[in-house]
Amino acid sequence: MRLDALSRLVRLSLARERKGAFFSAFGVAMGVGALVFFVGLGLGVGAVIREKVFPTDARLVDVVPPAVSLGSLLGGGTLDAPTVERLRELPGVEAAYRKMNVRVPAVTRYDGVFFGTRLRMGMEVLALGVEPALVQGDVQMGEFKDAGEGQPIPALVSTRLLELYNKTFAPARKLPQLSANMLVGFGFPVEFNRSYVAAASASGPTQSGQAQVVGASDRALLAGITIPLDAAIRLNRAFGVDAENYSGVTLVATDPSQVPVIVDAVKGMGLEIDDQERRMAENSGAAVALTTSALALLSLLICILAAVNIAHSLSASVRARAKEIGVMQAVGASRADIRAIVLAEAAVVGLAGGAAGTIAALLLALGVNRLAAGYLPNFPFKPDSFFSFPWPVVAGGVALGLLAALAGAYFPSRRAAATDPARTLAG
Amino acid sequence: MIQARDVVKTYVDGDGTQVRVLDGMSLDVTEGEFVAVVGSSGSGKSTLLHLLGGLDVDYRGDISVGGVKLRGLGDKALAHFRNTHVGFVFQSFHLIPNLSAVENVLLPSHFGVAPPDARKRAEALLERVGLGAKKDRAPVRLSGGERQRVAIARALFGKPRLLLCDEPTGNLDAATGTGVIALFQDLHREGLTVLCVTHEERMSAAAGRVLRLKDGQLVEERAGLQVATGGSP
Repeated sequence: MRLDALSRLVRLSLARERKGAFFSAFGVAMGVGALVFFVGLGLGVGAVIREKVFPTDARLVDVVPPAVSLGSLLGGGTLDAPTVERLRELPGVEAAYRKMNVRVPAVTRYDGVFFGTRLRMGMEVLALGVEPALVQGDVQMGEFKDAGEGQPIPALVSTRLLELYNKTFAPARKLPQLSANMLVGFGFPVEFNRSYVAAASASGPTQSGQAQVVGASDRALLAGITIPLDAAIRLNRAFGVDAENYSGVTLVATDPSQVPVIVDAVKGMGLEIDDQERRMAENSGAAVALTTSALALLSLLICILAAVNIAHSLSASVRARAKEIGVMQAVGASRADIRAIVLAEAAVVGLAGGAAGTIAALLLALGVNRLAAGYLPNFPFKPDSFFSFPWPVVAGGVALGLLAALAGAYFPSRRAAATDPARTLAG
Repeated sequence: MIQARDVVKTYVDGDGTQVRVLDGMSLDVTEGEFVAVVGSSGSGKSTLLHLLGGLDVDYRGDISVGGVKLRGLGDKALAHFRNTHVGFVFQSFHLIPNLSAVENVLLPSHFGVAPPDARKRAEALLERVGLGAKKDRAPVRLSGGERQRVAIARALFGKPRLLLCDEPTGNLDAATGTGVIALFQDLHREGLTVLCVTHEERMSAAAGRVLRLKDGQLVEERAGLQVATGGSP
């Protein structure tokens, strides 16, 4: 059967049964629209969790010494220089970046104008030293290296800390909103070997210094400052604490698929993996995926109901058109032609419903984003959009509408093709 | 044109009883004949027509129409046979209500190779049956006789060599029926083979040969009177 002839017959048939076709398409649109909407929401929220709340790099493996182990009691299980070299030599490892905490307490006391607002504040400061190469991409001012005693220590702040400050602390304390660019160059005093917490107090003299913000990084310590590794080593030596063993090592795998192999090898060396962040990201992602899946399942159910509705509607239509089908057979329609006509009718309904549902979902998402921007409080990590609609989701929505309609039309089309013209045209 | 040999057709009725509608019937129709098939209700007339037109292939025996052996033809080949070899005219016209007269005539073109001048040809056929001025009317706006003329035009669209008619005047009043019979006579005179199942005496009288069926068997064969009914419109 020629395409133009098929199209003409389908158009005629749909025009005659436009009410039924409309309701069938509406059902498909509901199911597809709900599915596209929830999948888009799940993908959008998932992306926020992955990229903003718990930004994790699939190639990174954070190695830490074991909390307690027989090896550590016997002098093993530590992250000293030879161990780091062994880690660097592991198969699948592209690079290894050392980290060392400043192992004495530190505080900052700020008393001055803070971006136009008078501020008087004191707080504990945690400092982590990292190899510059690990964070080089996020440094916006100067070189990320220790300039020596008496010189300002370059410091990176966590982008997530900045977000939490902007969305919770700053509004509560009427402090200005800050961006990474604004912070670059900001200096604040730090007193090492001093603590406001009695239990953490260190003995011996304190050392005053200045830290200067040089950028913000996803890889920076969340609650503290990230400084060059050499600065951390220098400070630890100055206070006579351990400056030989590292607090952690970040391994970069050549490929994400190498990560499990590296993890096994690291554990085999008596070391541990710090995957707390990754696990939190995975757990949050799983929770979002589970919720999205439940809603998507519900939407699929609507699609199935839409398919059943199409099946009923087409069955009734086929029954009502039995004589017409018989006439078509009498003038030369084959069973395949009849099946094609019924399936094509369903395909048009499904495509129209799928497209309408997908467009409705996109518009609804746009509306939700606008409402969220206007009415939801400015909470941390609040995204510009809660949705993500990659093209396979959009195309999949339309395709699902088509599939649902074709599935619904399957049996009616077979029944139509099985019409016995001799019986229907008799009399 | 038609050779039917020992044709047996049975079906199972609602009670599960096997009913033999055609019981070893044989028939020959030569090209250009006008044959009327008569018989009481249930004698197997319509069944014979359906078998000859390839609408029903569930039978025993052999049927050949225009050199085409119908037994064993696949669905596609049978559809092509119906599209090109035969034209059907039914008692109830069976026009598609939401198509205009000319679109109804064009219907066979959707299922076969459409000639480039399909619409022109459909309009010429409507002109031929006297409905040129009403080609764009929906069937509901045509009289019974006019609807049957549209159905005849549709049957002729594929240039068939055989016209199979099932009680074509059954739903028409006497005057309109006369016009339709005259049209068949004209078509027959132009060389078309016409096989007409009928109860209508005038139709039998117009035919060149009359076959009587009884209980699925050919019980009588006589020459028709070929009574002229007057010109077609």
